[in-house]
Amino acid sequence: MIYFTELENLPVYDVKGHYMGRLVDLVVDSSQDALRVAAYLIKTRKKNTLCITHEQMQSISVRAGQTSVPQEAVRCYSPDEGLMHIKKDVLDQQIIDVNNRKVVRVNDVDFDIQPTDGHTELRILAVNVGWGAAIRRLLQGILAKHVIRQISGLMSSKTIPWGFVNLIESDPARRVKLRISFDRLASLHPADIAEILEELSRQEQKAVIESLDDETAAQAISEIPTKMQADLLESMPAEKAADVLEEMPADEAADILQEMPPETSAELLADMEKEEAKDVRDLLGFEENTAGALMTTDFIVLGDSATVEGAIVGLKYYEGPLESVHVVLLVNKDMILTGSVTLARILLAEAKTPLSQLTSGPLISVNAHADNKSVVDLFHKYNLVVLPVVDEVGRMLGVVTADDVLELVIQRK
Amino acid sequence: MPQKKFQHFRTRLFIFLAVVGPGIITANVDNDAGGIYTYSLAGAAYGYSLLWTLIPITVALIVVQEMVARMGVVTGKGLADLIREEYGFRITFILMILLLVTDLGNTISEFAGLASGMSVVGVSRYICVPLGALIVWGLVVEGTHKLVERVFLVACLFYIAYPLSCFLARPNWTLAFLNTVKPAFHFDFPYIYMIIGLVGTTIAPWMQFYLQSAVVEKGVKIKNYAYSRWDVIVGCIVTDVVALFIIVACAATLYASGQREIHDASEAAIALGPLAGRAASLLFAFGLCNASLFSACILPLATAYCVCEGLGLESGINKRLREAPAFYSLYTGLIVLGALAVILLSEQKQIPIILLSQVVNGILLPFVLIFMLRLVNRKDLMGDYQNTRTFNIIAWTTCIVMIALTLVAVAATFFPGNHLTG
Repeated sequence: MIYFTELENLPVYDVKGHYMGRLVDLVVDSSQDALRVAAYLIKTRKKNTLCITHEQMQSISVRAGQTSVPQEAVRCYSPDEGLMHIKKDVLDQQIIDVNNRKVVRVNDVDFDIQPTDGHTELRILAVNVGWGAAIRRLLQGILAKHVIRQISGLMSSKTIPWGFVNLIESDPARRVKLRISFDRLASLHPADIAEILEELSRQEQKAVIESLDDETAAQAISEIPTKMQADLLESMPAEKAADVLEEMPADEAADILQEMPPETSAELLADMEKEEAKDVRDLLGFEENTAGALMTTDFIVLGDSATVEGAIVGLKYYEGPLESVHVVLLVNKDMILTGSVTLARILLAEAKTPLSQLTSGPLISVNAHADNKSVVDLFHKYNLVVLPVVDEVGRMLGVVTADDVLELVIQRK
Repeated sequence: MPQKKFQHFRTRLFIFLAVVGPGIITANVDNDAGGIYTYSLAGAAYGYSLLWTLIPITVALIVVQEMVARMGVVTGKGLADLIREEYGFRITFILMILLLVTDLGNTISEFAGLASGMSVVGVSRYICVPLGALIVWGLVVEGTHKLVERVFLVACLFYIAYPLSCFLARPNWTLAFLNTVKPAFHFDFPYIYMIIGLVGTTIAPWMQFYLQSAVVEKGVKIKNYAYSRWDVIVGCIVTDVVALFIIVACAATLYASGQREIHDASEAAIALGPLAGRAASLLFAFGLCNASLFSACILPLATAYCVCEGLGLESGINKRLREAPAFYSLYTGLIVLGALAVILLSEQKQIPIILLSQVVNGILLPFVLIFMLRLVNRKDLMGDYQNTRTFNIIAWTTCIVMIALTLVAVAATFFPGNHLTG
């Protein structure tokens, strides 16, 4: 194994033993092999940059590198945005450690030296973020390499295998060229993605969100602070922002839109699907800190003459978020709330039972203009999971779910 | 139509209030214990005659601070982050160590300032220093970013103590005004040292790190950058207006009555008593305590931000202790060491540490200014927000003058008998 700190400034000689220059950077071509060092950049005495391909590199060690060709056969380096440069793009940059779900800064990069049919290849093993690597960076070029190895060996070494490293490239075109994907990141829990997002600058957040699918993006954005949500969505292309908003529960989407300047929120609403946009618009009409502003319009409602059988069929067509499924609400033909049945009761009852027979206790609901405190009190008093919100005449408007109330209570503390 | 205009104004005011904070706070902390002493000394020793320097100083401060605020808004990254990404680990690490040393020295000066300010009303330093340390520590560790910023903004309001104290001193306003707008330069060394002292106390490296990190943590958007710039400009002007009142207050009393030498800021406060009344003296001392405590909070905070950014560790007031252990350890460590030094060491023994910190401050500043100027001119980082050509000329001139003056000040600290940058 060899570290980048040991490779930097390594003297390189050609096949006849002529000194060519010092190694300044390593290049990886992700379109061919994402792990192999495809080329070595050398700075000559005359300050020219040469590019030695991996096939031309005969041997490489902590002492020196040697090519298998004469100096004349090595071509000059022409900068290429499509290649990943270890020093320029990886070293000292922030990366996402997918395994530990954290954003860290790279102190060093570890390579494996592999003899491959007649020449030597370097393959990326891991990035190093520990104190040992930091010490190597500090002492690099000051002490002999074996002394540095001994000293850094005393410190903790923290490496992240390359497979768990996600580079953060904010230029989308370059992201494609470097084949940076956020597949691994997307497999994390949205709450973990959210924590990573909070560590990044806005452009980087944008890069991550744009590469996630709409649903994952919406879930992750749901978990970050409201102000950051609004800023992030505002800075994204309106189309993508609207797609993400559609995937969110209507109440959260409304909260975010409320944080934005009116022109922006109007533009996003116009870009959203009609149905979702309408739900959000309805919510935007309510004053802050009322049940109306807190509620979501995603809920399951059935006519009060429905049976268990009908309810189960109805549930299959439900598309909204799952937190409001715990309760099925019953209304009469004027959309006036007449009862609520928990999912558990529906599942345990006979298929032909009318839902109106399964309601339990008195019907609890709240007026849309009631303040947050009375909502919290109702949840507390009746141990609710879902609370229906109605207008003055008792028409169904939406539901407040327990997770929203929990957030409210935590915020207050 | 007027209704609409008013609404438009109201929206803009709201955005400004949402963006305001970092610039005003950073600039005000500039008037810390050391700053107040330097201004008091300038007033006591030279009367109104140094007031003109405040205008160029304000301009220089605005030029430098505007650039870092802009970098924070555009890149979304702290200055230490950017230096690390562009100049590598070693340089960043050395800068961080230097900042740590100079800010430890500064923190000691702040707690010493608190102790001396409180001594005017007879409170022992054994009581006020530990108590002050506990308050600032608890505020940042327990508080959210929003709360901390509000407390800081309130601390900024308390600087009103200096204008009030100044009015009580009944200065000659005509003379003060004339001296502010009309430069007058003498070629004698103590006078030049005094000017260097005034400049040196105004622009310090921690300010650039702190302002940029604070702007980033605040999450200011590019389209609202204009408001952020006003935040910086207003902050710098207010700060130097406060400095002006300090100089004028001391000029009207100490200088006028021939008491031209003072050894710390509380001495100025005490001396104001017989000349301008007990109220003026108390206000002056109160201002000193407020400024010291405020700075004793921000300096360790700025250092903790910078070191954590540079090393890629988690940082931010909004983080919990468990989430950002290094950030809070650094913050706590600096406050504890700063307070302990004032409690345990005699004033004589504090001087070498404070002098060392000033020298390090002088060494650090050129690097920070040059890195900053180079970063702000990077097209790939700043896009359309690079410096314009004209602004670059102004910025480079400012920075070169700053660097030259700072280096002279560093050299001057090696000669005994000069505590000008105190």
